[in-house]
Amino acid sequence: MNLIRAELRRVLATRMWTGLLLAAVALGGGLVGLMALVGPENFDPPMPGLHTEEGLRSILGILGFTAFVPAAAGALAATSEHRHGTAAVTFMFAPRRGRVLAAKLATHAIVGLAYGLVLAVAAAAALFTVAAARGVSLGLPAPTVLALLARIGVAMAVYLLVGTGVGALLRNQVAAVCVVVGYLYLAEPVLMMIPGVNALYPLLPGGATAALTDFTYVADAMSAQLGSDAVALLPPAAGALLLTGYALAAAAIAVVVPMRRDIT
Amino acid sequence: MTGDHLAIEASGLTKRYGDVTAVRDLTFTVRPGAVTGFLGPNGAGKTTTMRMLTGLVTPTSGTATIGGQPYGRLAQPARTVGAVFDGNAFHPGHTARDHLGVYAAMAGCPDSRVAELLDLLGLAQAADRRTRGFSTGMRQRLSLATALLGDPRVLLLDEPSNGLDPEGMSWLRGLLRRLADEGRTVLVSSHVLHEVQQVVDDVVVIRRGELVAAGPWSRLTGPPTVLVTSPDTTALAAALAAAAGSVEAAGPDRLRVRGLDAPRVADLAAAHRVRVHELVTETTSLEQLFLDLTTETAEAR
Repeated sequence: MNLIRAELRRVLATRMWTGLLLAAVALGGGLVGLMALVGPENFDPPMPGLHTEEGLRSILGILGFTAFVPAAAGALAATSEHRHGTAAVTFMFAPRRGRVLAAKLATHAIVGLAYGLVLAVAAAAALFTVAAARGVSLGLPAPTVLALLARIGVAMAVYLLVGTGVGALLRNQVAAVCVVVGYLYLAEPVLMMIPGVNALYPLLPGGATAALTDFTYVADAMSAQLGSDAVALLPPAAGALLLTGYALAAAAIAVVVPMRRDIT
Repeated sequence: MTGDHLAIEASGLTKRYGDVTAVRDLTFTVRPGAVTGFLGPNGAGKTTTMRMLTGLVTPTSGTATIGGQPYGRLAQPARTVGAVFDGNAFHPGHTARDHLGVYAAMAGCPDSRVAELLDLLGLAQAADRRTRGFSTGMRQRLSLATALLGDPRVLLLDEPSNGLDPEGMSWLRGLLRRLADEGRTVLVSSHVLHEVQQVVDDVVVIRRGELVAAGPWSRLTGPPTVLVTSPDTTALAAALAAAAGSVEAAGPDRLRVRGLDAPRVADLAAAHRVRVHELVTETTSLEQLFLDLTTETAEAR
């Protein structure tokens, strides 16, 4: 418990934490609010409107694309101790490294869930407010929308842990953040476009996240444009299971890899 | 754990990085109640050794224990051992209070201990400033505060003089002396000898990862020698040798005498009616000893 308290103090005292909360409000409230305000039907290219199920799922799915933010935060937090040389102090205070690494992981999970919660609440507030103001009745009942947002919120915590795992593996802060953001922001969408390789997309973190909200619009639009076969996402439950798998793998890496490594 | 006297023991410590052997078969003991200087030129393996003592680096072979326990098995590591390796290990966005608060929580110390240490190290004014803007001296003091959080019985300092001004260094020597006098074990590494010379009781000297000398400083330096200048060295040498002194020439009209102290040399000279122009007691400085012990390497290269 002392270790988790220490790690929470470590995270909460940094500006990254404040920045992360602001990002959750800006992305959840701002991005979703803006998309709802403009209306997907007015996008270029136009997408189905908010009053359709597809349009609503698309807006929520696009919110899922912002997962690189918590992932980058996880990578940043996991590499911070090496960057600033405090790893030696930490492992001296807690030479049974497994315990402090597990405490870090628990702390990052708490931070990830807090980020996801703020993001989901801000998105829900923005969505319902804008829809009411524009007089649009949403394409899905409110409880369903909230459930989808909750899934996205939890997925954000998973991405933060994936970032933590990458950070533990690479140790170099710049490299870890570049890899995480580069993969999620650039590489994964590109993979989605390559015929053949895109069959893998449902199994990648992005595909699993999209499965959570059954968000196929972008993938379908891409397949249509490229004339390739439509990508079949996993069912939401399988997507959730796969994401959990990614989180566990990242967690295992984050605890096991630094266990015996020399701190020089 | 107050009252515990914990020795540090290294036994056959070896660390290889690929083909490079950083530390080779190092065996020494650091006793409680004394300040021990851990000396050697830069790159001799001091930092690697200290990191092996604290479990940060796993030895290739050999063991290191503190009070008979490997570091990783200590029940309360932060309350047993405090160390400063790099006087700059802080998150730049943390304030001094944040930083100490994190480690106080890890060690299970109350937050009142944080305030105590900020006062003790003269950081109270800067407590709520982010460490990003700290001077080197402030960083050193905050590192020391971190090491002292758990009121440890054993203190390890790696090159603490880096970045400390002479006043800070003198303050640090006073602190180390006080801690040792309380029965704690203090190991302080340095390549700048005159800074620790005034405070060390024992020394461990290494060169190229191997032990060169270890023991009480007074025994390593040996008894003082007497340098005597006289126009009649032949008669003087005979007189001193008769009194069981060991004599060697140290110049045309100079002798270096071992085994007899200066008053005795003067008395013998007077008794034999030999004129003496100068009489000097020589004590080897740690610097000289260090140079003697380590320059061989430079010549061998």
